[in-house]
Amino acid sequence: MRLKLSDVTVRYGAHTAIRSVDAGIDGGKIVAVLGPNASGKTTLLRTIAGLQVPSSGIVELDGANVTKMKPHDLASKIAWVARVGEVSSSFTIRKVVELGRYALGPSRQRVEDALAKVGLLSRCDSLWFEASAGMRQRAGIARALAQRTPGGVLVLDEPTSALDLRHLRMVGDVLRQCASEGDIVIAAVHNIAFALDVADEALVLRDGQLTLAGNSTAVLTPSSLGDVFGVDLAWATDDAGNRHLVQP
Amino acid sequence: MKMKNVILLILLALLLIASAVLRLLITRDVDGSLSLAMPEEAFLMYRLVPLVAALIVGSALGVSGMGLQVLLRNPLASPWILGLSSGAGLGVMATMYFEHVSGNAVLGGQALGAMAGALLTLLVVFGLSRRRGGIDPMTMVLVGVVVSVLCGAGIMVFQHLVPMGLRGSFTTWLMGSLPEVESWSRLGILGAIVLVGISLIAWWGPTLDAACLSDDEAKSVGVDLPKIRRRLFVTSSLLAAIGVILAGPIAFVGLIAPHGARLLMHGSHRTLAVGTALVGALLLLAADDIRQLVDLGTGRLPIGIVTSIIGGLVFLVLLLRGKGRV
Repeated sequence: MRLKLSDVTVRYGAHTAIRSVDAGIDGGKIVAVLGPNASGKTTLLRTIAGLQVPSSGIVELDGANVTKMKPHDLASKIAWVARVGEVSSSFTIRKVVELGRYALGPSRQRVEDALAKVGLLSRCDSLWFEASAGMRQRAGIARALAQRTPGGVLVLDEPTSALDLRHLRMVGDVLRQCASEGDIVIAAVHNIAFALDVADEALVLRDGQLTLAGNSTAVLTPSSLGDVFGVDLAWATDDAGNRHLVQP
Repeated sequence: MKMKNVILLILLALLLIASAVLRLLITRDVDGSLSLAMPEEAFLMYRLVPLVAALIVGSALGVSGMGLQVLLRNPLASPWILGLSSGAGLGVMATMYFEHVSGNAVLGGQALGAMAGALLTLLVVFGLSRRRGGIDPMTMVLVGVVVSVLCGAGIMVFQHLVPMGLRGSFTTWLMGSLPEVESWSRLGILGAIVLVGISLIAWWGPTLDAACLSDDEAKSVGVDLPKIRRRLFVTSSLLAAIGVILAGPIAFVGLIAPHGARLLMHGSHRTLAVGTALVGALLLLAADDIRQLVDLGTGRLPIGIVTSIIGGLVFLVLLLRGKGRV
């Protein structure tokens, strides 16, 4: 499985959201997408997921243009997790996760496995509109897990923004497991520590342009990120000897 | 389907049958007293026709409302949000005006006028709501409101042009009423179309479920959103148009019936479509029962007024129970 972006540009009217992005990602990798607000992260992820047609350029998955895939094919190859999930009906969490199987056929086992992986199996009969932001975020991830085909692509837009530390770790483990089964996992994140912890590679965007790309430990350094975000950053070492990026 | 939902659907069907039997039996004598008795054969038709019409119109409006609430992602959506009733009203008013000016009956009469007005309005709303090759829900709501206002202005222009005597009959049409005289063949055809429409929306239930996610999420799980939105628009509009043709603009059934069904059962829109059809038919039939029972000394209330009062109260209760969430 290989995902390839060739000269991808997306414009919304006169505004260019991402400009001439080239990248290649192989199966089994976790890629973190970072950048300041409005740098084009969500647009890039939506384009990769086949939800946004590029103004120019092409996104290919094993040679197939993702924007030309039929809905069923797209669902079987690429699973999407939105930053903020929406449900406009009084569904339970379980029902929302079951929707991940819409195109691929129902599977009680897959749904329950997915719910268990994000710690929602015991809360799955709660109504969506009564669920907390963190529960909704985990339900969105569970829906994508129920949908994903091992060896496919998992695209997540800020999947950890509402999660506490325990569930942050839980989601990190889930993403690692998906990658170990051959998935390409691409996630936009603001949590640099999380990115350093789980990602193999990193893409850093600024003003719609891909400014840094490569191995996450090589890319996510105080000097490079400080430059992109316009802040001073430095390494700090905790008692256990782990290094963290901090603002001095 | 869950056993709880099956039992609820059976209970709703039993209530509907009870309400229908009550409609057949309620008799108001000349002195105003009420009794329950089977009417003579010669008068039976005058009870059977509105009963069947209530079943058709109530279920059609209810399921149409459910479809539009999914299409527009708006819990307040009802068949009238697309300007259907004001479009049909404009058609009726135009028909009455041309009949008055020409002195001749227009072929098809008010029913044809209502149908033409409703369909023309829907075409305009559909045409103006398209964005990037598909229906944009937010644009459709806004266009529907604007078209409603324009049709309302057109109605007032025609009301201004026709003599005073005609204005009363138009006002009566606007209140909505179940027909007491109607050919069985026409009822049969419209009933069959409604049955097909409801069956189609129930068949698309799993797609409607997935379409309740955000656009991106729905597309990602495999929903062809432009296709299901076109289907919902056409089918929901057709169902609502049949309601308007048979009974005029009956208020609130299209809004309340889906919420009533959702309150009773959580589940797929496949089950919900059946539940909504039953609740819609039950609401209209119960409203018709109530108007037979209430005598204000000036004849029976138009059914549209009864549905507005019941619907408004039920909606308030739903709002309060759901703490503002419908």
